[in-house]
Amino acid sequence: MMDISDLIKSISLFKPETTLIVTFMLAMILDMAFKKSKNIAGYIAIAGLVIAGIFLFQQTGVNYKAFANLLVIDSFGQFMKFIVLMSSLIIIVFSFFSNELHNAHTKLGEYYTLIIGMTFGMFLLVGSANLIMIYVAIETMSISSYVLAGYTREVKRASEASLKYVIFGAVSSGIMIYGISILFGLTGSLNLFEINQFLSVNNVATLPLLLSGLMILSGFGYKISAVPFHFWTPDVYEGAPVTITAYLSVASKAAGFAVLLRFFKTGLLDSVPGTSEAWQLLGNIDWHYVIAVLAVLTMTLGNLVAVWQTNMKRLLAYSSIAHAGYLLMAVSVMNDNGVSAVLIYFVFYMLMNLGAFFVVQLIANKLDSENIDEYNGLGYRSPVLAVCMTVFLISLAGLPPTSGFIGKLYVFSSVINSGYIWLAIIGVLNSVVSLYYYAKIIRNMYLRDVESAKTKLVFSPVTIAIVLMLAIPSLLFGVYFTPIVEWANYSMNIFVGN
Amino acid sequence: MLGTMNFPILTWITFLPILGILIILLVPSGKDEKGQELSKKIIRWVAVGITFVQLILALVIYLNYNPALAGVNNLKTFQFVEKMSWITATLPMVGNINIEYFMGIDGISVPMILLTAIICFVAVFPSFGIKKAVKGYFAMYLMLDLAMMGVFCALDFFLFYLFWELMLLPMYFLIGVWGGPRKEYAAIKFFIYTLVGSVFMLLVMIGLYHSTGSFNIIEMMNAANFRGDSIFGGLNTTIRYVAFMGLFIGFAIKVPLFPFHTWLPDAHVEAPTPISVILAGVLLKMGAYGMIRIAFPIFPDAFGYFQTLIAWLGMVSIVYGALCALGQHKVGKRDFKKLIAYSSVSHMGLVILGLASMRPEGTVGAIFQMFNHGIITAMLFMIVGVIYDRAHTRGLDDFGGLAKKMPIYTGIMAVAFFAAIGLPGMSGFISEVLVFLGAFKSYPVLTIISGLSIILGAAYMLWALQKIFFGVLPEKWQGPWDPTRLIYKTDDVNGLEMVALIPLAFILIFLGVYPNPILNLMTGSVNQFIEIMKPFVYIGGL
Amino acid sequence: MDLITIAFYFFSALTIVFGAVVVFTKNIMHAAFSLLFAFFGIAGLYVLLSADFLAITQIMIYIGGILVLIIFGVMLTTRITGVDVKTGKIGKIQIGIAGLLTVLIAATLIMIFSTSKWYLADSKPLDSTVNEIGTALLTNYLLAFEAASMLLLIAIVGAAFIARKKH
Repeated sequence: MMDISDLIKSISLFKPETTLIVTFMLAMILDMAFKKSKNIAGYIAIAGLVIAGIFLFQQTGVNYKAFANLLVIDSFGQFMKFIVLMSSLIIIVFSFFSNELHNAHTKLGEYYTLIIGMTFGMFLLVGSANLIMIYVAIETMSISSYVLAGYTREVKRASEASLKYVIFGAVSSGIMIYGISILFGLTGSLNLFEINQFLSVNNVATLPLLLSGLMILSGFGYKISAVPFHFWTPDVYEGAPVTITAYLSVASKAAGFAVLLRFFKTGLLDSVPGTSEAWQLLGNIDWHYVIAVLAVLTMTLGNLVAVWQTNMKRLLAYSSIAHAGYLLMAVSVMNDNGVSAVLIYFVFYMLMNLGAFFVVQLIANKLDSENIDEYNGLGYRSPVLAVCMTVFLISLAGLPPTSGFIGKLYVFSSVINSGYIWLAIIGVLNSVVSLYYYAKIIRNMYLRDVESAKTKLVFSPVTIAIVLMLAIPSLLFGVYFTPIVEWANYSMNIFVGN
Repeated sequence: MLGTMNFPILTWITFLPILGILIILLVPSGKDEKGQELSKKIIRWVAVGITFVQLILALVIYLNYNPALAGVNNLKTFQFVEKMSWITATLPMVGNINIEYFMGIDGISVPMILLTAIICFVAVFPSFGIKKAVKGYFAMYLMLDLAMMGVFCALDFFLFYLFWELMLLPMYFLIGVWGGPRKEYAAIKFFIYTLVGSVFMLLVMIGLYHSTGSFNIIEMMNAANFRGDSIFGGLNTTIRYVAFMGLFIGFAIKVPLFPFHTWLPDAHVEAPTPISVILAGVLLKMGAYGMIRIAFPIFPDAFGYFQTLIAWLGMVSIVYGALCALGQHKVGKRDFKKLIAYSSVSHMGLVILGLASMRPEGTVGAIFQMFNHGIITAMLFMIVGVIYDRAHTRGLDDFGGLAKKMPIYTGIMAVAFFAAIGLPGMSGFISEVLVFLGAFKSYPVLTIISGLSIILGAAYMLWALQKIFFGVLPEKWQGPWDPTRLIYKTDDVNGLEMVALIPLAFILIFLGVYPNPILNLMTGSVNQFIEIMKPFVYIGGL
Repeated sequence: MDLITIAFYFFSALTIVFGAVVVFTKNIMHAAFSLLFAFFGIAGLYVLLSADFLAITQIMIYIGGILVLIIFGVMLTTRITGVDVKTGKIGKIQIGIAGLLTVLIAATLIMIFSTSKWYLADSKPLDSTVNEIGTALLTNYLLAFEAASMLLLIAIVGAAFIARKKH
């Protein structure tokens, strides 16, 4: 039973989320009040996110189980929340420059409001330590994202994307909740801490535990678009507005990975002292291999299918599936090194993936197409944009001296350190495959259609500045990454409550 | 001694191109035609200036280098060392991660640095023929220059890998944008092949880091630095063999060694002349250099295990490359560049055979062969470039009787061809003899078979020489190359081309008569290198 | 067989049979009405588990609220009543694979349900659960309760946006 002092402390630690709720309300009300201003909700959202960020920053070093163990506040969660927060901010800024959205709607009030709602859902998900909370949080972010994916509902493919997203989402959360019920039946609790305690004392049959775990994984796998729960990804990514596609590919994944890691570490970790090197998981199931197999499937399918894509959004969709695979590799080692690799990777992944999507958005603004052939000669039509795009793509491919390489380096490092050489080999071969399709875009930009140089594409200085703000760190962190690594290492400890 | 002075000369020689890139990017494009021409001219001469300063710095390094200090696995005897902490992060669970900015050179790297500086300088001149996107071209060119120089100076594996990969993108663009008709295919093939090699290198690098706790290449050479329970701990374990093979394949692709060579003919044929020059002159050497610097001394036990296989691969490359070059006279479109590309495969095979022998003379010969091959092939590609610029074809069948039309050119080319064949009095002779001497003691049969390829080499080279320079001048080339006399005032090589070719020809002859200036550099280091390898390998004649 | 067991089988059968009708019928009205009985069956199961509050909620919200809304929606949308809800044909292979998977999963589940050792809570005397649920919602599950309200708000905003006429 929760006592009042716990409640007071919990509420004081709930400030970032509270800020988001207030922002949600304010954005909705002020959007109605100021009918003339188009982006008012967006400005409020930015302000709200910044304030939430400040409150989040204040939680540095806090380890606390809030709201009677429903929510965990720890540095791991703080890190992931920052990733989510940063991507929300960046996406809102992107949205100011989206022709696609502005042509479809005179007002974008609900759009920005729902982004805040989704951010709130992801904040909850990152901190959840109770299966009910996890479910509610996943639904909160899902429902926002369903609407956002179909936001330009006049566009037929956007509606289709939204519907597909809803159906797949409903199925996977149905499966997940079934798994949760089995786990509840086995352990008599929904709380990850109590489940952990129960499992460490009692002997639970392997098969039902495995089955319930897999079913819960399907819910997380859907969020991170891991194979075989990825079917929605290409269609939704293609149909949704570019900004939302970019958002789903980063923030939604970050939240998914956060809850995945927390579920394993909090719920299944054998808390015998000295197990920080490699987590001993309860219940006689080799989760390493389950996740490793998922990782291999995910990255291989993502990369192989991406090779054939001609639509940029679809290509990046499959590429993001592949990146989920690399991240799952780091998860599969199931130790704190892996966690820190995931964290490091996410920072860089956010920069490069959002950057690439923003370039796609800018090109679509001008040329009204996402076809890869439209990028022919871009190196001459808009040199700065093309150079930045090259940086993003090289970074996504994981070549030095870009930050993407550092991300990969840490992922492979954690994998090799745990002795999964075969997994690392499959991983690097995959990154060779990925180079092929990233290089295809670079080829189109510089090697094809040089004559089109005559028609220059001119972008506003602000948009160019935004692209540069993502491209320059992508490069800089490739040669100096100490701060990110330090931060990730500080944050890699998931609070297990002992 | 400069080495004792606090002048970071290796940093300067490596990162000088950055300065050039900045200047080039800042040069305005020019409004009208005249302004554009002026801007291109400035850019070209900036590149000349930068590479010239690099050459001077390389000479300074060469003159101040003390051959008595061996280096290789002894940090104290490395020279011009620059070492500072670059990335340090505390990992509470794993220990510290420590990447250093660590540069230094020994007798193995000095010839390579010299070679890089020479080739990068002379290859600027054929680059004057590039008309399209001059700014981008020279920026990429200097970037490539930087990466290559960095590879030869780096002693930290992470830094080495960074430079190694940094070279990929400029090369991709240089082939892809300024290349021949099948440039897209050649560029991506080069890219993918090299990347396949380097990703395995990446894995081994990570493994080595976890085993030794540092990225320091020199520390990795000492078995005592490996933690016993780590993945590469111990000797003669399967995982060490696998790791060695990963590194070896990564470097062998670059060399390129049969059967990893298929990217080379495509890349050479499609690349513009100066890039072919750099590719053959320096890039291929990086593979062999990587073996000597990293793969062999870090995994001497695994090298011992695979020694015979490597010698075989060397032999097969020599013979196969020579046969393919000879085949250029028989089948299909007879392409001059392809001929030289395959001769490169053959000559680089010689380097591997020399290394596999593990005899001091064989190893010295191999490194000297790397240097010579760099100079010779650079010359050969420039020679092809000269007639390609004029006649716009490289088909061997299209020429004949050029000796009368271009006497000086014929003379220079004869020097290059004879050096390539290994005629006594040319530097190629010395290195080949050294390699064969060493290899014969360790692998007599393989050496004899490889020796036969000398005859094949003479055959295809002389054949080509005869085809192009003697016989009847075809009808279409009877007149001057350039009837307007605007670009080519005479039919023979022009001044710019001579600036590039004559010094190289001079080096070939000089080192053929008196090879000590280069050989002396490396004997100490090679002996040290053999010392590391000795306990693990088979050395004939001991 | 005592009365409770008989009731259990009755309600289970009710739920399963009408659940199947919902899935397999082609007429959307039939589906809506079958859903009513399926929900009712579930409410009955709740009663048998002495979850009185849950059973009432089930009837009031699902049957009294949501289902009535669905039926209203179906009836008011004149064109929808005659529409065949199934479109397209599914290939034999797909059906085969799906069937196989279904059988496999069902078999696993049945095996699990029959063989596993489940967690058994301490049996308590039968009493009204309203009090307990209310306390839990406002103490231990306060955050989930509040988050759910936020979820509903977001859903309403989204639904309002989708339902709104074009500008």
